[in-house]
Amino acid sequence: MNKKALFVFLIFLAFPLFDRNQYHLDVLVNAGIYAILVLGLNVITGYCGLLNLGYAAFFAAGAYTYALLNLNWGWSFWVSLPACAACAGALGLLFGSCALRLRGDYLAVVTLGFGEITRIALNNLDSLTGGPNGLSVKHPVIGFAGKGLDFGINSLPYYYLTLSVIMVVAMITSRLSLSRLGRAWIAIKEDEVAAACMGINTGKLKLFAFCIGCAIAGVAGWLFAGKQGFVSPESFDFVTSVMIAAMLVLGGIGSISGSIAGAVALTVIPEVLQPLQQYRMFLFGAVMIVMMLFRPQGLLGGKRILEELKPETERIRQEEDEVLSEDLRQ
Amino acid sequence: MSHSEIFVQQLINGLTIGMIYALIALGYTMVYGIIQLINFAHGEIFMAGAFLGLTVFGLFSPALKLNSALMLILMFVSAMFVCGLLGGLIERAAYRPLRKSPRLSCLITAIGVSFILQNLMMLIWGPVNKSFPAFFKHSALSLGPLRITFMQGFIIITSLVMMSALHFFVTRTMLGKALRATSEDMTASRLMGIKVNRVISLCFLIGSGLGGAGGVMYGMYYNSISFHDGYLVGIKAFTAAVLGGIGNVPGAMLGGVALGMLEGLGAGYLSSEWKNVFAFLILVGLLLCWPSGILRKLRNE
Amino acid sequence: MFSLGAKKPGVFKIGCVGPITGDQASLGLDQLHALQIAVDEANAKGEIIPGYRLEVVSLDDQHNPSQAVAMAKRLAADPLVLAVVGHVNSSCSLSAAPIYQNARIAQISPSSSNPEISRKGFDTFFRTCATDDIQAPQAAYFAFERLKAKKVFVIDDKTTYGKGIADEFEKEIRRLGASVLGHEGIIQGEKDFTPLLTKIKGLSPDLIFFGGMYPEGALLVRQAKSLGLSSQWLGGDGIYVSAFIDLAKEDAEGVYCTFIGADVSNMESAKRYLEIYTARFGQQRGPYSAYAYDAANIIIDAIRKAAKKDRPAVLAQVRVTKDFSGVVGLTSFDEKGDSSIQLIGVFQVRNQAFEYVGSARE
Repeated sequence: MNKKALFVFLIFLAFPLFDRNQYHLDVLVNAGIYAILVLGLNVITGYCGLLNLGYAAFFAAGAYTYALLNLNWGWSFWVSLPACAACAGALGLLFGSCALRLRGDYLAVVTLGFGEITRIALNNLDSLTGGPNGLSVKHPVIGFAGKGLDFGINSLPYYYLTLSVIMVVAMITSRLSLSRLGRAWIAIKEDEVAAACMGINTGKLKLFAFCIGCAIAGVAGWLFAGKQGFVSPESFDFVTSVMIAAMLVLGGIGSISGSIAGAVALTVIPEVLQPLQQYRMFLFGAVMIVMMLFRPQGLLGGKRILEELKPETERIRQEEDEVLSEDLRQ
Repeated sequence: MSHSEIFVQQLINGLTIGMIYALIALGYTMVYGIIQLINFAHGEIFMAGAFLGLTVFGLFSPALKLNSALMLILMFVSAMFVCGLLGGLIERAAYRPLRKSPRLSCLITAIGVSFILQNLMMLIWGPVNKSFPAFFKHSALSLGPLRITFMQGFIIITSLVMMSALHFFVTRTMLGKALRATSEDMTASRLMGIKVNRVISLCFLIGSGLGGAGGVMYGMYYNSISFHDGYLVGIKAFTAAVLGGIGNVPGAMLGGVALGMLEGLGAGYLSSEWKNVFAFLILVGLLLCWPSGILRKLRNE
Repeated sequence: MFSLGAKKPGVFKIGCVGPITGDQASLGLDQLHALQIAVDEANAKGEIIPGYRLEVVSLDDQHNPSQAVAMAKRLAADPLVLAVVGHVNSSCSLSAAPIYQNARIAQISPSSSNPEISRKGFDTFFRTCATDDIQAPQAAYFAFERLKAKKVFVIDDKTTYGKGIADEFEKEIRRLGASVLGHEGIIQGEKDFTPLLTKIKGLSPDLIFFGGMYPEGALLVRQAKSLGLSSQWLGGDGIYVSAFIDLAKEDAEGVYCTFIGADVSNMESAKRYLEIYTARFGQQRGPYSAYAYDAANIIIDAIRKAAKKDRPAVLAQVRVTKDFSGVVGLTSFDEKGDSSIQLIGVFQVRNQAFEYVGSARE
């Protein structure tokens, strides 16, 4: 972890010592949960170049897994974590193995379809999921033999929990991006045909990236459910998926610090500009357009990402690649 | 009502909404055919058409009578005109600069435009559902227990007329030929002296105009419009476009009608609460297994 | 800094949460208006607690349970909020109740009628309206005995309220001896019900019961008319809103509905309030505003009796409310928080207005 990141981490760590306002902390916790989501989407879209417009479905998977485990079998918050990540990852595996043979726009639309199907299913299967009325779940409790600390609706414990999770996820994804696996992903994103020629099993690796990203979303869902104490389908709609994508675009596709920065910016700014609440969607839309037109690498994205997103002068080459890779598909 | 009569009635209902889907699908298919972009904002343009029709009605209704042909023409023409301009403007401002960029950028931009439009509509017309005037009341043609209301008939006939006009334009006129040529091969068209930028703008103009018309019909049929309706109808219309073969104009018409009917039958016979899931399942199924759709698309991808 | 003499009064607040935007905005605004009238009257009469003024905090939950939770948290975090009138929709009241419970804030709903909410042990939840475990069976009784419905079809909107009332209705009307031809759910926000209505037309029921809210209700009756479906319609209090008639226009004629209260426009006790409402807010008063007005006044009264800015103290006073003389009659809260007034009225749309037909059990 470099010095700048450490410095920022310490600032966030110390923040509650100066400002104990519950509302402020709550907003930062929300920002933190979104940061985890953006970090996850970063793995899928940033590292591997796959646009996932149904990302909220995996967020929902994590949240509902905790809700159902807690309500039906009394699982505690902490024990549920692996299950939430696994469930979301498994859902990612299911969707990914179908969808990942598609490219670009079509992949985006299919993921959108999956996301909506998930949301509607959650809404309709009311005997299982509570339908549009949602499910109320218990807040996390750290307890030993009867005595314990119930997180309740106090924002402070969630703040530190979220901060820790962000650090862990950031470290994991950072390691991944620098590993052989990460380089393979970059190769796939740059030029899938060439990557395949070099012996990279593109199908499997893309699926792996997809699943990891989805599992991270599951973790975010786990946190969200515990903090909110309530899950319902409206929290996981297409607008949410787009918001996460917008945060990634703003921060910088492929950049970890960018992911966190984008999430914090696009969570805090609408809250700060309370009177302009009704302009929220406008803000997200404008961010996306402006970024794509003027600074595709986002606020903190690196040079490499700029190169990737610059206009290509040879669209024909790309199309030829697609035709070729159809044959080379694993 | 006998079983077959119920079935036919479901088909009639499905056909009506299918025509609206078809009009909107044309916008998607034409744009995709020419620049390979899924114009996410198209659903919002459709919705804007509905709101514009409502506004025009509000402006003129004390003076002009409801049901009058003049009022209808006014609503349609103004909605189509403004939506067409809107579509053209969006293309010029947001999509043209990114024409050479990777697809990811364009898609994200399109989503951004759609969000902005939706928010604008909410700000201009308010967040509450707006009541759209009812034309023709419930007057209907009854054939035994079957009913086809004048409203339904109007939608079906008007859509057919518009689609025929488009078909004629695309196949019989010079400009239409230019459009088809640019869809086939943009570089070659440019070499042949076709002003490609103008053709693309025209494409957006026409597609958006048709979307606007669809919006007015949607408002007239359901009598209640809201700024967030565009998203869902847009996705369904896109599904219809893919169903018929994306890039293929007659395909979009066919796809729209097919989707409308499939949706109606699914909702009527299986379950109405899963109605939207059917559309999404069809979308996902098509893209995964049968992306070329019913009719082959115009250009090979 | 420069104020000499009189100290500026401090503030405490009553929260008001409901759908202020979106398709059910008329209900949320109705509740808000009622609160504003009550609070302004109270402030005009003099300080409730010496040195303090009352204010209303209005928040929007868009009838979305998640939003309701977020808004409840915001109210709980504001130490000046002493009590809450809300929410409008049962699903929202239910999801927000744990927050208020935790924060010891009294929550009085004027319209959430689902019986489950007061059965879950929230000692902070109260309501001034009747509940659906009374409303639904009485609606069934009315349908069976008065409307002579022998074959019914039931539709609900899958929300806590809609499904709750529809399920209770179905249970009771089966018990009475009618046959239920089907029970299907619709999704809130959906526009096109023609496939479902065509299917229902094929079954020819005498009566269709709709457990749900007015935006969908209006679309249902319109599309039914359009399809030539001539069955009688009966709804719950979710369609007893003037907006229902505004949206459905002539197609609303003849539709019956029940309401979790009697006809306020005919009550002596409500006359003054109705005049004030119409004078100030012009448009037609909604069904629950009288109940919200009473809820607000119960809170104001409790604050006055508690004589301090303390949530548990206010809560304690609210809990012992007995024979509170309000515009809808004498209200007392039982140990669950439900109101003692459990009158169900039946109304029918005639000449584009709701007319009181009688109480359900006549």
